[in-house]
Amino acid sequence: MSDVNAATLADFAASEASPPVRGYWASVGHRLRYDYATLFFLSVIIVVALLAICAPWLAPFDPTKTAMAYRLKPVGFKNFMLGTDDLGRDMLSRLLWGGRTSLIMGMVPVGVATVIGGFLGVLAGFVGGRVNTLIMRAMDIFYAFPSVLLAVAISGTLGGGIKNGMLALTIVFIPPLCRVAESATTLVRGLDFVEAARASGATTLSIILHHVLGNVLSPILIFASSLISVSILLGSGLSFLGLGVEPPTPDWGLMLSALRSGIYIQPLVCALPGVAIFITSLSFNLVSDGLRQAMDVKA
Amino acid sequence: MLRLPAFRSFRLALAALTVASAPLAARAETTLRVAMTAADIPDWRGQPDQGFEGNRFVGFTLYDSLILWDLSSSDKEVGLKPGLATKWAIDPNDNKRWIFDLREGVKFHDGCDWNADNAVWNFERLISDKNPAFTPYNFGRARSRTNNIDHMEKISDYQIAFHTKVPESLFFFNMPYLFMLSKCAVEKAGNNLDEFAKHPAGSGPYKFASVVPHERLELVKNTDYWDKDRVPKHDRLVLLPMPEATTRVAALLSGQVDFVEAPPPDAVPALKAANMRIVTNSYPHIWPYLLNVARGPFKDVKVRQAANWAMNRPEMVDLLSGLAAPSGGVFVTQQKYYGHPMEYGYDPKKATALLKEAGCYPCEINIGISTSGSGQMQPLPMNELVKEQLEAVGFKVKFDTLDWNSLLDVFFKGQEKFPYDGINFSSGASDALNFVKSQMSKYNAPLGGNWGWYFNPEVDALGEKVLASFDPAEWEPMVVKMHEIIVRDARNLFIVTDLNPRALSPRVKGFVQAQSWIQDMTPISIDPK
Amino acid sequence: MWRYAARRILMTIPIALGVSAICYALILLAPGDPIQSMLPPDATPEEVAYLKKAYGFDKPVPVQYFLWLMRALSGDLGASIQTHRPVALEVMTALSNTFIIAVGAVLLAFTLAFVMGTIAAYHVGKPTDRALTGVAVMGVSIPNYWLGIVFIIIFAVKLGVLPATGMGSQGSANFNIFDWAQLKYAVLPILTMAMTPLGIIMRSTRAAVADVLNQDFIQMLRAKGLRPFAVLRHAVRNALPQVLTVMGLQLGYLVGGSILIETIFAWPGTGFLMSKAILTRDVPLLQGAILVLAMAFVTINLAVDLLQAAIDPRIKRA
Repeated sequence: MSDVNAATLADFAASEASPPVRGYWASVGHRLRYDYATLFFLSVIIVVALLAICAPWLAPFDPTKTAMAYRLKPVGFKNFMLGTDDLGRDMLSRLLWGGRTSLIMGMVPVGVATVIGGFLGVLAGFVGGRVNTLIMRAMDIFYAFPSVLLAVAISGTLGGGIKNGMLALTIVFIPPLCRVAESATTLVRGLDFVEAARASGATTLSIILHHVLGNVLSPILIFASSLISVSILLGSGLSFLGLGVEPPTPDWGLMLSALRSGIYIQPLVCALPGVAIFITSLSFNLVSDGLRQAMDVKA
Repeated sequence: MLRLPAFRSFRLALAALTVASAPLAARAETTLRVAMTAADIPDWRGQPDQGFEGNRFVGFTLYDSLILWDLSSSDKEVGLKPGLATKWAIDPNDNKRWIFDLREGVKFHDGCDWNADNAVWNFERLISDKNPAFTPYNFGRARSRTNNIDHMEKISDYQIAFHTKVPESLFFFNMPYLFMLSKCAVEKAGNNLDEFAKHPAGSGPYKFASVVPHERLELVKNTDYWDKDRVPKHDRLVLLPMPEATTRVAALLSGQVDFVEAPPPDAVPALKAANMRIVTNSYPHIWPYLLNVARGPFKDVKVRQAANWAMNRPEMVDLLSGLAAPSGGVFVTQQKYYGHPMEYGYDPKKATALLKEAGCYPCEINIGISTSGSGQMQPLPMNELVKEQLEAVGFKVKFDTLDWNSLLDVFFKGQEKFPYDGINFSSGASDALNFVKSQMSKYNAPLGGNWGWYFNPEVDALGEKVLASFDPAEWEPMVVKMHEIIVRDARNLFIVTDLNPRALSPRVKGFVQAQSWIQDMTPISIDPK
Repeated sequence: MWRYAARRILMTIPIALGVSAICYALILLAPGDPIQSMLPPDATPEEVAYLKKAYGFDKPVPVQYFLWLMRALSGDLGASIQTHRPVALEVMTALSNTFIIAVGAVLLAFTLAFVMGTIAAYHVGKPTDRALTGVAVMGVSIPNYWLGIVFIIIFAVKLGVLPATGMGSQGSANFNIFDWAQLKYAVLPILTMAMTPLGIIMRSTRAAVADVLNQDFIQMLRAKGLRPFAVLRHAVRNALPQVLTVMGLQLGYLVGGSILIETIFAWPGTGFLMSKAILTRDVPLLQGAILVLAMAFVTINLAVDLLQAAIDPRIKRA
């Protein structure tokens, strides 16, 4: 399980120290256009996302419809392109629908945490002083938990279920995002152009909106993008432990867990959810790396 | 924990010297390693937890009871045989006084003698908090078997009497579940069972050797066991808790264990391909939903019947690769008390109609299930299938997933304390007494085994008659009648009965699988590698 | 240095207090009556009353927390509902087992990752770099519990060269890492666990070494015709402190995040203990395990920071 890695935080904050030059986004786009690896994995993500979104129309069968006569059938058996699971449900349909749950478990907590953590971080960084101390020390406390432990602790005490699972993941991701936002904001705040804006009488809000946010957004977004893969892995791990999605809702982590005994009959079919998690998480990681490289002005 | 390697190798060298100086090399010790389904080592201090698996591996092995199961045959219904008692009978002048003659010349593992004082003390510690060795958990675990004991009486050094609260013709059926501890060992431990756990002493065919909490319990054979036929044919019995079915399979296939409880049906082909032996046998086991009859939707008999008509039992048997059979009652068909109850076939239309008639459509129910456990088979996929089948006719099923010990607790406490409409609680009517009492409102949990507070005046009246009758020719037909009524009343959601699969390494020889929850491990011998 | 150390240690105290407050809050958040969750199911009313008084549940929450903290500081974390054994004992026994595989995994990951990272940094942008970086990304992207299952199937079931589960015939009571008959039980858990830190440490090594290689003095050494190996030695020496920090952090994450791997391999560590505590709703045990693990993590972080300050003269923090 990959972790929210504190060591890389400083890099993320530092990557956006200089003010945007004219044509910054254009140059980012330019760099990305020739980064074929990133483009490839980005297209993988888009395909996975489209498949998940269109699951209701694409899935050949009802993902929860059991058929005992057709349990644990191999890839390509009759109409079951990817075989069937231990209750005779169509694997392809379940993988498509499971992609929805797994992507939601990957994106929603990161999204919510980005908004909350980003807000807190910008606030702490911009206002500074006591507010900064209060916010950042509170974050330090949550930071003192390894992410897996914190997620398990929260969903373990609150009980399973997709909502508690997502809540737990959101809480896990707020502190690191807050830190990135805070260090980026603190850096930007001291820069000349912000001082200039302040001197020319701009309101705090307008400074934040026009100057700070524009500069702070990209490190936050890059960091957030790197968390999606962590979130997918953590979310599927929670489901695997019985703390996330509850049966019979299709979810890749839960499917892996349920198919453990079928692995002696249909190893390939039972490995599919793991492959799906792996590909999705790998793609998010690589795209996040690519984005970071493209946006990194130093490089 | 880490040990200093130097110290360790010194000890090893010392051991090697000792062995080398011994006049002749001893025969290699044979060890039987068993993977249990329990998540932890069952409590080995007398009354085991973890259900029948606890009784099987740390009850029946370390300890004896007054009456034992006769597990020597695989093709007949299991009966009783004398254990620490040689003879028992109701007092002809008092139908509430049972007289037991105790076996003479039996010694506990700590060398203390088995006698009437010991026996009386053992039962008192289970029923009376005046006894210094009384513990609430042992009281709780034994309660359903001891609730009719009023007080104990010592008649002579080797004769005792039980005084029951009410006449109970089948009282002696309680005995195989109540294990006898060495009184002096418990007293030596200061009446503290946690202390006793370090040096437990019973009189069973195995003695305690060592334990690593949560991980392994090791027993060694008791060469002085009083029943020479049951002196174990292997030297050491190692018990390992492995709640994950796939872990058990992997452990057997990789040679870490020799004997695996409840292999997952899906792994059976792989096990057979690796030359493992799969043994099955019918036994008094049922895998039902016990229904909460006191409140909620299942208060209505129509809803209970609807659930029963909704079950596609052959489909469930398929799911289990044939390692199960459909169940239509509390007894299994091989048992003589099964009778000819009505049969619930698979009729989803009828089920839906009944639900609509009962005014519960869709009918929301909340079921407590476990992730593993003694006799629980493959609870997660099986419950998912039950849910599908129930929802197909108009139920809305919500599961609360517990571990086995928590579900046991729910069972013993009864429906009143827990908000479930039903629990997936496998059990078995191994004897008529347990069956009769579990149907009577008098024995509503937590007092007895009637979890859902099932109540039918006709059944109650029949039950009273059975318990007051000391003539089998009279009570046996009444038990059959009771069974037929409770099936018609859809007292449970009857689903399937297990065929008790076990997977054995080819080195394991001599295992006789009895038609019982309890198995005798003593005849097993292990081929050298 | 000493001033920094003292400050860093002082800073840890409020964090540790906050961590304990969160752990305490968990028991209040848990559904159901906290008293019920701390008692065996067959507790008598007297026991309930005793506990209520002893734990001060009638008092306001901050007072309750303070009482709990005082007991926790004296090593009393309550008793497990399932086993009646002291939570502190259960957790500490399990923690030593977790350390065996976590330390093993970090050492293995570090050794491999450092070599891989250095090679990759030396060939930045070349195919070798891409291949090695790819391996690292795979390490952090793979669901390691799934990898564990695959390892069991391959190495234990198919090949039969390694055991699948548990800690071997001695159990954890006498586990001896110098005895292969016992150590082999740790091999698969360590291998599986090493995947994530392998990826992370490799990437930090690559970044750190590449950074150093880009610096002027190295460029100068190179220009002066220093042989590649000697250049690398310089670079590695300069990058090491930073990588060691990452490694220390990874150890903390592994100790705290071992639950999935230990569940797969039935390795009797803290993660396995927690997964059982979750299943059995053994709240005191779960709470105790979380508290001890979080504190272990805080301590490891502190140690890493101090160590880094000690070995890296460039770090001058007031």
